[in-house]
Amino acid sequence: MADRASTAPAVGAPGRPRRAFRASVVGVYVLVLVVLQIFLLTVALDAFHGHDPGLAWSAAAVSVTLTAAVAVVERLLAR
Amino acid sequence: MSGTGLPGARRGPDEDVAASGGPDAAAPPEPVWRRDFPYAAADEDDVTRREFVRFLLLGSGAFAAGTVAVAAITSAQGDDDGGEQRVASVDDVRPDRPVLFRYPTGDDPAILLVRPDGELLAYSQKCTHLGCVVYLDGSGERLVCPCHEGGFSAGTGDVVFGPPERPLPRIAVEVRDGEVWATGIDRG
Repeated sequence: MADRASTAPAVGAPGRPRRAFRASVVGVYVLVLVVLQIFLLTVALDAFHGHDPGLAWSAAAVSVTLTAAVAVVERLLAR
Repeated sequence: MSGTGLPGARRGPDEDVAASGGPDAAAPPEPVWRRDFPYAAADEDDVTRREFVRFLLLGSGAFAAGTVAVAAITSAQGDDDGGEQRVASVDDVRPDRPVLFRYPTGDDPAILLVRPDGELLAYSQKCTHLGCVVYLDGSGERLVCPCHEGGFSAGTGDVVFGPPERPLPRIAVEVRDGEVWATGIDRG
């Protein structure tokens, strides 16, 4: 018990800024994924104008995959 | 900081009830300490990194849903080729005066041109970039989109300059007894 207490990071210990930095990096990473989804939405709109359902569904599939990736990252961050 | 309280503040008994999914979980009551100490900290309403990622997750889901919706609409719109439709009399078409018509549906603007060699050509008037209506420029050699400066060859419909990546859909035309008829559309 005493050993566990001594190894736990205290408030203000170096572990806390490291976690905060990691959370910031994850936030930026997720932001990039969402920006990529905006691009995919424009691709789908372009496919709509071009009457190209194959391209539109491809963009939709990638966009849904990115959303799943963001959800996984969010869950990892919450732990 | 998280929206539940000040940094380092102890959780009050009311908060414990709300956190455990008690009867008032839908509308968390005001904690006791808030009534005893009714002052807000400067950064109390700041968004944490985790909350920020959750907002992004919501936005990501919205973008994915929008993209799927666009794909579904694209599939549902089908490939209406319009069938046969009278466009104009041959005498109405001159090199300096293209004829505007609607094909394959009443919502699809199209343009009929006559080339210097007498060839009749018709194109969809919707720019393949973002759907603005293209027009024949003064030279008679380019169909130009005014929205984003896209340009198409009047002779082939191919992209000449600007952001469009696909040629203009070409409409097949035939002359029957002095009348120009549209008979189909090739979207490339």
